[in-house]
Amino acid sequence: MRILMRAALIVLLWLAGIRGVLADKPVFKLEIRNHLFFPEVLVVPANTRIKLLVRNHDPSPEEFESYELNREKVIMGKRNAVIFIGPLLPGEYPFFGEFHPETALGTVIAE
Amino acid sequence: MLLTSVIIVLREVLEAALLVSILSALSGIMGISRHWLMWAFACGFAGAVCYGLGINTISDLFDGTGQELSSAAMQFLIYCLLILFAFQAAGSVYGRETSGTFTAAIMAAIIALAITREGFEVLVYLSGFMNEWQQFLPVLTGALIGAGLGISTGALIYYLFSNLPSRYALPAGLCLLSLVAAGMLSQGALLLIQADWLPAQLPLWDTSPWLAEQSLSGILLYALIGYEATPTAIQATCYFGGLLLLLMVVLYARRRSRPLHKTPD
Repeated sequence: MRILMRAALIVLLWLAGIRGVLADKPVFKLEIRNHLFFPEVLVVPANTRIKLLVRNHDPSPEEFESYELNREKVIMGKRNAVIFIGPLLPGEYPFFGEFHPETALGTVIAE
Repeated sequence: MLLTSVIIVLREVLEAALLVSILSALSGIMGISRHWLMWAFACGFAGAVCYGLGINTISDLFDGTGQELSSAAMQFLIYCLLILFAFQAAGSVYGRETSGTFTAAIMAAIIALAITREGFEVLVYLSGFMNEWQQFLPVLTGALIGAGLGISTGALIYYLFSNLPSRYALPAGLCLLSLVAAGMLSQGALLLIQADWLPAQLPLWDTSPWLAEQSLSGILLYALIGYEATPTAIQATCYFGGLLLLLMVVLYARRRSRPLHKTPD
């Protein structure tokens, strides 16, 4: 049991270490208004971990979803959300709002 | 609107329905009364409502990654409970005395957690249309169709397992559960990557040209075996490691129980 506790502690410290070392990441902002993403096209550096700050200005919830980025997160109405993406190979990565997929469409371009 | 709603709800319901159908079929095979299902549903729905009500607070925890972390924690917990269940189930079939109440409690906890996770998303989705009556009706219709499709799939799997000879049903059920469990572990890892708690990596491979995750078969395989088109090394390790661990637990439980079978008469 003591060994297990020690192992758990080491893993936790390791995770904390990783978080500390990699703390500074470029931040990009995305907004949701009337079930649309602003900006629709987000150009980000390739091969870099990115912190995406999403603000939902609508009163209704939205789900940020992208099969290409492998991300999925619920963003409640009038709230902010943090989503880490990348590192990405150069290319285009479409994303959409799962709750309003007809209008809420956007693309991340990594270059 | 209608189709979107069908797909969203189907995706959520399918995962929970799969667990419900396999576990209740195995419960019957092991001779455990299915009373636990009632508790599981009640706790699951209560959990989904509480999680939905508290989501604003939860989301803001841990620098805005509380949603990922809580969801990952539930996935990991379900995985651990599935390991416990596999140990109990494999033991009971191969002759060891196991407590039916304990096994039932494990199954109830698994289903309750699964419903909390999946139900929350459906509730949040539906809540967004509460004030838009014109859209609410098609959304609700779609949700009911999606739920119906998910539940029918679950029923199909349930009858499939219930009609297998019990000699095959348990190993087959445990195999399918192992795949579901491995998928949970890999999904949990993905959530930790999304929350930046695990390092991000490039995907190992990309099978989306052959089988897209958003296609119907992709959705079905995602629920069944945790199919992922672009997994990273961490996810693949979790998946196959988790699968191996669970199968080893089953083999261990079987070996431990065997001697009871072979007592000289």
